[in-house]
Amino acid sequence: MESWIEWARGPAFRLALALLLLGLLRHVLLTVIGVREAMRKAGDKVLPGKRIRAAVLSWLFPVKRLGTRTVFSTASVIFHLGALLTPLFLLTHVVLVRESIGLSWPTLPPLGADLLTLAALLGLAVMLAIRVASRPVRVLSRFGDYALLVLTALPFLTGFLLAHPAWNPIPFGPAMLLHVLSADLLMALIPFTKLVHIALLPATQLVSEVGWHFIPDAGEQVARTLGKENQPI
Amino acid sequence: MERKLPYYTEPFERTGLARRFLDAFAAILTHSNYDLILDAYARLGTRCSRCTDLCQVYQATGRTEDIPCHRSELLLRVYRRYFTAPGRWKGRLFESFTLTDEHIYEMAESFYRCTACRRCKLECPMGIDHGLMTHLGRWILAEIDIIPKALLVSVREQLEGETKNTSAIPVPALIDNCQFLEEEFEEIYGVPVKFPIDVTGAEWVFFPAVSDYLLEPDTLMGVAAVMHVTKGSWTIGTGNFDGINYGLFYSDRMLGRIVRNEAKEVRRLRAGGVLVGECGHATRSATFLATYAAEDPPKLLNILQYTHRAWKEGRLGLKKGVIEERTTYHDPCNIARTNWIVEEPREILRHICADYVDMVPNRSENYCCGGGGGTVSIDEIREFRTGIGGKRKAQQIRDTGARYVVAPCANCKKQLREVCEDHGLSEVQVVGLHDLILKAIDWEALKAEAKAGPGAEPTAAAPPPGAETGKEES
Repeated sequence: MESWIEWARGPAFRLALALLLLGLLRHVLLTVIGVREAMRKAGDKVLPGKRIRAAVLSWLFPVKRLGTRTVFSTASVIFHLGALLTPLFLLTHVVLVRESIGLSWPTLPPLGADLLTLAALLGLAVMLAIRVASRPVRVLSRFGDYALLVLTALPFLTGFLLAHPAWNPIPFGPAMLLHVLSADLLMALIPFTKLVHIALLPATQLVSEVGWHFIPDAGEQVARTLGKENQPI
Repeated sequence: MERKLPYYTEPFERTGLARRFLDAFAAILTHSNYDLILDAYARLGTRCSRCTDLCQVYQATGRTEDIPCHRSELLLRVYRRYFTAPGRWKGRLFESFTLTDEHIYEMAESFYRCTACRRCKLECPMGIDHGLMTHLGRWILAEIDIIPKALLVSVREQLEGETKNTSAIPVPALIDNCQFLEEEFEEIYGVPVKFPIDVTGAEWVFFPAVSDYLLEPDTLMGVAAVMHVTKGSWTIGTGNFDGINYGLFYSDRMLGRIVRNEAKEVRRLRAGGVLVGECGHATRSATFLATYAAEDPPKLLNILQYTHRAWKEGRLGLKKGVIEERTTYHDPCNIARTNWIVEEPREILRHICADYVDMVPNRSENYCCGGGGGTVSIDEIREFRTGIGGKRKAQQIRDTGARYVVAPCANCKKQLREVCEDHGLSEVQVVGLHDLILKAIDWEALKAEAKAGPGAEPTAAAPPPGAETGKEES
């Protein structure tokens, strides 16, 4: 068991982290290059910068967005708070980082970490419940949407149990292995699933605006390719 | 058996549909910027269903097929399967989605149940513009000749027909019409208001929805009155006097051609820019002058902006509170969704109306009239347009208790009149903003002023010095 945990925390973690960082970097670079290239070819070179910035900010800090689908939105916001803060600022995580590469940063107090973990889990549970119970979400959902919710919950659930041995029904070893492995898997999957929004969210409003910036001769080129140049309408 | 579409099309080749759809899709991806957008959308869709809270079509039907995210997914599925590496591999190795005729017909129906109002984009956390997906989906369909006949014949007449406009109005009829309206001015108000035709060197060439010449004389008279009072330098060009651009609704290829023709007419008349009449989509499609006439784009102004500016600068006097009946304002999606032209008409209306009320929601969050995206021209789907698309709008209008609904858009006006008819709102009158402005101009005061001031009689189109009148070869 020990050696499995060591493997999961060592080589497997490093591989997952590499996939995560390189994968996200690739997406960001390709998006930046894609946007620049699209704007270079577009006839209209002006983008509504102010409007794009306002839209991005309103989604990064979605206070005003809670009015639509209030329960779902609130669940999503508290999940995101927990999911962003806990893994990065948990004392034991920071200690691990310090021991391996010497870097260190402030940490959450234990109670704060507990509350944020529970918030993430509660958020996930509500989102899952709504996905099952509410018709429009259910009909849109695919297997992956459910699987990702469950996979995201695993590291938080096992993490909470590890921090509270008295409530933990599973022995420490398997719980730790499950915790680290599920986190590895989640990190590795982020660039390949809809979770890629972790990196791309700030770009999506921009991409949609670029979508309306057409290439002046695109229509004529399409007609030529399809052999329709001189066809009457 | 041939599948029936909800709208008429011209006969199209029904064999090899999937192959040709993919060819058209591939050609468009190669030559346009859409690949970048589809790639992002195909990865990012979270299927959260927030868009269902915003779509008036879904609200009316509750059908899965009417969820904006579901609609976009129809196209994204094809994109993923045939135009991304993982999709192609999956297709080779396993049994997976295959594009069928059935799927194409589903798209052909679905993309014309969307009014392309882009309201759903407001609440998409991932910023997905489902209106843009509808826009692209329709273009691909158009390249395999699946186009509502109503849109196709209009564009054909505008680009390749004899009259060069969507309502097939011949130039002599246009001139007659303008002369008739000038006589009306003389008769009703006793003022020599002109509709200047083919004036070279004017500041603005006027592009209304051409159907206004047939259906909206009051709107046109309001526009001419404003230009007369403000001594605006404007002209109607006989080479091209139609602001309608159904290319925006089904084909970027046609969009570009129609926009270039507008720029061409402005250059022919050596004018400064395009002045769009009361029409939402005509105004938005004219913003593509920056795309298709990028080398020297003419200026662009909507008549609402022109009138508002003139009024603010004190060049246009309007009587306060002259419209006594309760009045409300419908925001045309194409000028309101991005909060572009929303305050100008409201400021004027609050001044000239004694009892102005806003619909809720409004401005960028307005509900579409239900006939957006060109669907208003498709007469055979009226039941869908007014019963489903316009249901929410009918309720909004009823809630205001208004007698006048001001809709500065030819498409919205037609649709809203039919919505009111079909929802028993017979007391409601749908009008343009300039219809009411016409009633608010104080002609008596102007005439008195003209008499008092030395030679202050306002001239119709006051072209800049050196401007000459006369038709040129186009």
